[in-house]
Amino acid sequence: MAGLKIERLWKRYNDTAVVKEVDLEINDKEFIVFVGPSGCGKSTTLRMIAGLEGISDGEIYIGGRVVNNVVPADRDIAMVFQNYALYPHMSVYDNIAFNLKLRKVPKKEIDRRVREAAKVLEIEEYLQRKPGALSGGQRQRVALGRAIVREPQVFLLDEPLSNLDAKMRVQMRSEIVNLHQRLKTTFIYVTHDQTEAMTMGDRIVIMKDGVIQQVGTPEEVYDQPVNIFVGGFIGSPPMNFIEGELIEEGERLYFYNQAIKIAIPSIQAQHLRESKNIRRKVILGIRPEDIHQNSLAFGNRVQAEVELVELTGAEKYLHISLEEKKVVARVNSRSIIKVGSNVELAFDTDRLHFFDARTEQRIAN
Amino acid sequence: MKKIIKLLKLLKLPVMDGFQILITIQLVIFSVFMLLPIVYIFNHALKPYSELFIYPPNIFVRNPNSQNFNELFLVAASSAIPITRYLFNSVFISVGSVVGITFVSILCAYPISKHKFPGHKIVFSIIILTLMFAPEAVQIPRYLVVSKLGIMNTYFGHFLPLLAMPVSVFLMKQFIDQIPDELIQAAYLDGAKEFSVFLYIIVPNCMPAVATVAILAFQASWSNIETSTLFMQDDEMKNFAYFLSTLTNNLTNNVARQGAAAAAALIMFIPNLFIFLFFQGKMITTMAHSGIKGSEKSGKKSE
Repeated sequence: MAGLKIERLWKRYNDTAVVKEVDLEINDKEFIVFVGPSGCGKSTTLRMIAGLEGISDGEIYIGGRVVNNVVPADRDIAMVFQNYALYPHMSVYDNIAFNLKLRKVPKKEIDRRVREAAKVLEIEEYLQRKPGALSGGQRQRVALGRAIVREPQVFLLDEPLSNLDAKMRVQMRSEIVNLHQRLKTTFIYVTHDQTEAMTMGDRIVIMKDGVIQQVGTPEEVYDQPVNIFVGGFIGSPPMNFIEGELIEEGERLYFYNQAIKIAIPSIQAQHLRESKNIRRKVILGIRPEDIHQNSLAFGNRVQAEVELVELTGAEKYLHISLEEKKVVARVNSRSIIKVGSNVELAFDTDRLHFFDARTEQRIAN
Repeated sequence: MKKIIKLLKLLKLPVMDGFQILITIQLVIFSVFMLLPIVYIFNHALKPYSELFIYPPNIFVRNPNSQNFNELFLVAASSAIPITRYLFNSVFISVGSVVGITFVSILCAYPISKHKFPGHKIVFSIIILTLMFAPEAVQIPRYLVVSKLGIMNTYFGHFLPLLAMPVSVFLMKQFIDQIPDELIQAAYLDGAKEFSVFLYIIVPNCMPAVATVAILAFQASWSNIETSTLFMQDDEMKNFAYFLSTLTNNLTNNVARQGAAAAAALIMFIPNLFIFLFFQGKMITTMAHSGIKGSEKSGKKSE
């Protein structure tokens, strides 16, 4: 069992850097999720940890040992690939046992460990089948089984659920979390799906263009995104962003543009004043669930015409335009609102996020 | 019509639409056309002299007999070296070549396909380029190489010129291209060293290609008379194909030994037929996988 440390990690292909100066410490037994859009370097980082890609610069430590020049087999890791990479010519049993056979583990011991893993993953009946005769979910389990029997220090999972259908994905999601709790090992999980990241991770690492944007617990990255990218990436539907200005009127501070004028609560106003953002262009971020219909709050209301109504079943999303800017609000699914009707919406002022219009970084708190 | 479809279903035959029927008829006509020489070889070998020279020739034999084979064995018995020696040479050379060519091809194709070492494209291009040389063009340099190596009159003189077979390297490379990289990486992670990956992952996954290459290699070596003609001076080192060719050479305007030649043609052909029948399923897989359209990623295979 071991933690993992990444120091100033770079990956360059010729002149283009795909991973830039990544610094990260992963604790023992932690479930950490790398998330980001495709091409953000998350998979490359994982593959560097696995030893499948060379490291251009920087160091990777597994359990306190530098592994830069250690071959994949000796890093004490196991990896689950997106397409499972099961050996098609071997039975499920042989697939799981392959590693142990190569390490010359005694036959009896191999048999015990394979059956134990098969039992955990409920694939005992399929042990003699070839991977080709299994469904996607079953193949996924075999791939996990192959990782489990090695009893590695670190599990690496590279988008393991993206080849499954939606229902299976939700089921395997919780099974992998259970597996983590059961094995009590470090898990590093790569995904492009923010829902997977939010539901599975102890901590989330959000990457973009090879750079780590934010590292934090799901609550932290959701409630306090460090920049516009994180705010927009985490959460579905994404956070709304409205451009405007901060102005002072008497004692109070307002966020103001052509369409809305929102009074900012005094604590947050204090922070904004201290960070010297008064009279400057800022971007207001607010999550769809923080825009309410029929709210009792005073002052922070906007009138707008509903352009689109989406019903997901549990909730309803209203799409409105504020100064050409699309804003989505989540309302009660039972509310009777039709496209074209006028609604009055109130912003929850305790849940406002402010970002610098130029740097797109979060301002104060 | 409905009755016909019912009957087809009952017989577990596929129900086809108009276009498929058209294609099937076309394919049947083609296959009859392709089959004709084979049928002809079989019949010709069994024809008595009286039928061999009929004009216009018959495809099918009327009074089959073994006269041609008797003649062949008579000729063979009268030669200085027993026919079994030629047969042994041929079998030994063919089996050796099949094993050798397959092994060399797969060993060559794997690094070109999966270890993108600097210049791998150039190496592959050169291999493909060699396909363009007519065999006659390389006979003299080949003779010089064999002679300088001092392997005239040895079995190596038979094997070595055949060992490098560009077509089979090409087929193998195309086939290995289809094996997903993740499979190899998973094996690395499982602790497999380079040779284990090759042996336990690459080789089992390209058995269809191995079968195809085996057929090609067998055909190349079984009917090969070049090495016997050029590099073997002693008669006991020459192969069966060479022996048969001495029987049938210069027969274009000759009546003598036509029967023996017909029998010989059949004997030469039969091993090819069996090898092909044995491996044909795998051969079709290879052709479909390494085919010219082959850009389709075979992720499916690994899933």
